[in-house]
Amino acid sequence: MARKTSQHSPAAGDGRRPPGRRREIVFLVVFLVLLGVSFTAISLQPVNDRVIEPFTAGIARVSGATLNLMGQGITMRGTIIENHRFAVNIRNGCNGVETMLIFISAVLAFPATWAARGAGLVLGILAIQVVNLLRVVALFLTGAYFPKLFDASHTVIWQTVVILFGVLLWIFWASRFAAPRAARAEPA
Amino acid sequence: MPYARFLRNLLLAAVPVAAVWLLLTPLYNRFLVASAENLLHLAERPDVTELAPAAEGEGYYLIVRKDFPPAKRTVYSLRVTDIHFHLLLLGALFLAVPDVPWRRRLGNLGWALLIAVFFHIALVFFWVKFAYATQLGSWSLEHYGAFARNFFGLGKHLLDLPFKLAFPLVLWAGFYFRLLAPAPERAAA
Repeated sequence: MARKTSQHSPAAGDGRRPPGRRREIVFLVVFLVLLGVSFTAISLQPVNDRVIEPFTAGIARVSGATLNLMGQGITMRGTIIENHRFAVNIRNGCNGVETMLIFISAVLAFPATWAARGAGLVLGILAIQVVNLLRVVALFLTGAYFPKLFDASHTVIWQTVVILFGVLLWIFWASRFAAPRAARAEPA
Repeated sequence: MPYARFLRNLLLAAVPVAAVWLLLTPLYNRFLVASAENLLHLAERPDVTELAPAAEGEGYYLIVRKDFPPAKRTVYSLRVTDIHFHLLLLGALFLAVPDVPWRRRLGNLGWALLIAVFFHIALVFFWVKFAYATQLGSWSLEHYGAFARNFFGLGKHLLDLPFKLAFPLVLWAGFYFRLLAPAPERAAA
């Protein structure tokens, strides 16, 4: 029996998936592959030593300087930020790199023009680092003044906030800047 | 997608989602640990792995090997709450989607949570195997080959960092991708 087909229903008989589903699958596969490759890359010792560690040290210096502006009397020892109340070691996981890589992978996997991707990546990475700076500063102050709350703040609250920020940033970029351009660029 | 409404919904959903997560976490921790222990027992003869509650508090578990001498039985510790805290994001993101009927939102969230349960059990499994394969010095070298050590090490690294952190985004995109990127014919209409 012949089935009626339309642009919004699966194409019957030719075995193809509807365009929307195919685009979702392509996005998810590319996203997961980029994610896996990038996180594997940063776990390699040479990449960690030459890229991630210096980057993390930079984050620690900027965080220490910001805390000093707030009158915290910070001294730095490598990636350790300390004052008379508290000390914290900025390590991998506290540098915003995970959120950045998730954001970068999602932006690159999403159907968009390269101009939209480029603008999204530059502004997104900057915004993520600003939020991450806020996290480090807030965590230090939490450890200094509310030490009992530090553990939960560190592993659950701020981790969730930073990742959520990256996800929301991507959704914002995709819905406002990337998707309309991509849709216009494709033939009807 | 109306982003401002999405954000407003997200803020509104965050509090009840966090409350439910906090309330159910002790129960879910026990379920996860028991399920992962059963999964581990499928891969070992005799059943030597035990995940026992630690003194540090709720959510902390010790990986215990019953075939080791008593003084060395505790081989690693694990905070199970860290494995599923991303459910906060998942719940809030799925409930916040505007212009989607509640019934469908809850249905999609249900599917996402079901997938999450399997992911969490697999992650606890990988944590334990990672500890066995890479953290026990000469015992690890003796019992796990180079491939197994790399497989469980990289597997735990990828599951515990990128895939765990990106998990809410992946599932959200899986269910709601078309809200962001309409199919060409819909966009052109």
